[in-house]
Amino acid sequence: MKILVCIKQVPDSETAFRVDKDTGWVRPKGQTKYWMNHADEFAVEEAVLIKETRPDTVVDALTVGPERAAQVLERAMGMGADGAVHLLVPEEGYLSPLSIASLIAAYASDKGYGLILAGVMAEDDMQGQVGPLLAELLSLPCATSVIFEELSPDGGMVYVEREIEGGQRDILELDLPAVLTVQTGINKPRYSSLSNLLRAKKQKAFVINRDKLPSVEDREKILRADYPRKSRTGVVLEGDQGEKAVQLLQILKEKAFL
Amino acid sequence: MKGSIVIITEHNKGQVAASTYELLAMAEEIRQGRPLDVIAVVLGAEAETAAQEMAKATGEPVVAIQNQHLALYNSELYKDLLVDILPQLDPVFVLVGQTTQGLDFAPGLAICLKAGCITGVDAVFREEGDIYFSRVMYNGKIVLDLAPLTKTTVLTVQPGSFKARRDIATTPGSVELRKSTAEPKKTRSLGTKRARQEDAGLAEADVIVSAGRGTGKKENLGLIQRLAALFPRSAVAGSRPVCDSGWLEYKKQVGLTGATVSPRVYIACGISGTIQHTVGMQGSGFIVAISTDPNAAIFNIADVCIVEDLTTFIPTLIEAYEESKGYV
Ligand SMILES: Cc1cc2nc3c(=O)[nH]c(=O)nc-3n(C[C@H](O)[C@H](O)[C@H](O)COP(=O)(O)OP(=O)(O)OC[C@H]3O[C@@H](n4cnc5c(N)ncnc54)[C@H](O)[C@@H]3O)c2cc1C
Ligand SMILES: Nc1ncnc2c1ncn2[C@@H]1O[C@H](COP(=O)(O)O)[C@@H](O)[C@H]1O
Repeated sequence: MKILVCIKQVPDSETAFRVDKDTGWVRPKGQTKYWMNHADEFAVEEAVLIKETRPDTVVDALTVGPERAAQVLERAMGMGADGAVHLLVPEEGYLSPLSIASLIAAYASDKGYGLILAGVMAEDDMQGQVGPLLAELLSLPCATSVIFEELSPDGGMVYVEREIEGGQRDILELDLPAVLTVQTGINKPRYSSLSNLLRAKKQKAFVINRDKLPSVEDREKILRADYPRKSRTGVVLEGDQGEKAVQLLQILKEKAFL
Repeated sequence: MKGSIVIITEHNKGQVAASTYELLAMAEEIRQGRPLDVIAVVLGAEAETAAQEMAKATGEPVVAIQNQHLALYNSELYKDLLVDILPQLDPVFVLVGQTTQGLDFAPGLAICLKAGCITGVDAVFREEGDIYFSRVMYNGKIVLDLAPLTKTTVLTVQPGSFKARRDIATTPGSVELRKSTAEPKKTRSLGTKRARQEDAGLAEADVIVSAGRGTGKKENLGLIQRLAALFPRSAVAGSRPVCDSGWLEYKKQVGLTGATVSPRVYIACGISGTIQHTVGMQGSGFIVAISTDPNAAIFNIADVCIVEDLTTFIPTLIEAYEESKGYV
């Protein structure tokens, strides 16, 4: 079976952002560290785990993004993905979930993937849309927030537990091919192995420029990006560490918490 | 036709979810800028019970679709039934709660309806007759305002963003009951299970010290525990990544898919403050946040904000406490 794993490169959670007055869009401030969206690491690991129990499995990792996003493909191959596909969108800036899902659908539609995995949500834009959009564009069944999955021995179905509020689980069964969005905690993502990394360096990703794929029109318009309107009402402690510690203890004692 | 706002009712065996009444409040806000009808739709094996409740509480018309295959939520059947009925209701906006269920079917539904889809909506604005919606990104550091470009837009709405509207109707709305025998073809819902026990310790604690990804490594959890030990009736909890890493048991997880807690004091250590975490702790009496990132969203809801590295700040704090007690 062929498995496609959709992975996104996102800025790390400490990144500061500046709203660019000219473009109305946001840019990271200063040197930015990027990493693979955490949920996507779990998705790659899940695909590699399937491959380990079913030797006929081939795992492709795919990303949509600028040049720098190639880094997460390397990481995916380091974890054990067989192939890497980079749908290159050269310019930086906002990509709507619909445009991302449409690009992936255009690529994946005739490749015969039996299972498509995505993360439950990207840490940067927090849409939670790309997986279910992709499923609908490809007319495939879909389960989101998957915390356990098991393929049937004949590979015709997948048993799924999806996490719902308060740690409960919905249990379902989908016919394959299907799209699953993976929730964090489903497994323990492995480190890249040296031999896999060397292979990744040699093998290179298959790159397709977005011009070569059909495009869709966005269905919503960004009016502006801005800083949160909810302004801070709490006190920000000032001074060195010791002074802050003393102030905090004082506050806690005044309120009779300590 | 002037178009409508359709509310998709979430319910558990006929009991309407609180988040659905928040959608009604949002519909009311939209209506102040644009006179649209409001119609609620209920799907389920026990759709009528929920439909009666909705009609009574809101005074708006309700369409209920009863289908015996919907004793359990099923995304495929949900989409099929909604695609059938929605065009008849001429929706401009389809409002869905941003729950694990809403987020499961809303994007696919939008594709079927050739509609736009905006998730994580937490506010609605009107500007020169236009209506637009805002949502946050980058862990709550940036707000994005979006305007729909299509005739119909499906919106998933962050629970807690609007104040629930209910029990205001003097006369109940009409209920139209339809029966459906459609079956899902590729998706079979088999049941629900509870995968983890409740943690009584979190519910009873006066003070919860909570560890986030900023804790860095498992060994640093000792610091969190030592900090908690300063308080009587205290407990240690964590954000999802901490539990995913196995540093804490899942029953210690606070947030959307974990526990909801409301201690007198919640001390968030190395937690950025994403909505999925804060929905589980924002009812706390007093919130202290420690993070190295001065822009972390947790500081927007904290009573005391401390921009420090927890690995050095917590030892300093414990030392200062012991000094004040005359231990050293
Ligand atoms: C459907 C769904 C359900 C979810 N349910 C939950 C849930 O129930 N509970 C939950 O918590 N999450 C949940 N999440 C995940 C959530 O979206 C976030 O990914 C998660 O809460 C982030 O955890 P965090 O704040 O610990 O980590 P991060 O967002 O990575 O933040 C770490 C913070 O620590 C700071 N930091 C780093 N180093 C230090 C240091 N040395 N000292 C002090 N501060 C430091 C950083 O600046 C940052 O502010 C869910 C997600 C989805 C999609
Ligand atoms: N640019 C992208 N390239 C590849 N996969 C993506 C991209 N954006 C989102 N995804 C996938 O879709 C999931 C959900 O993203 P989102 O809908 O943006 O929250 C991510 O976890 C990825 O698996």
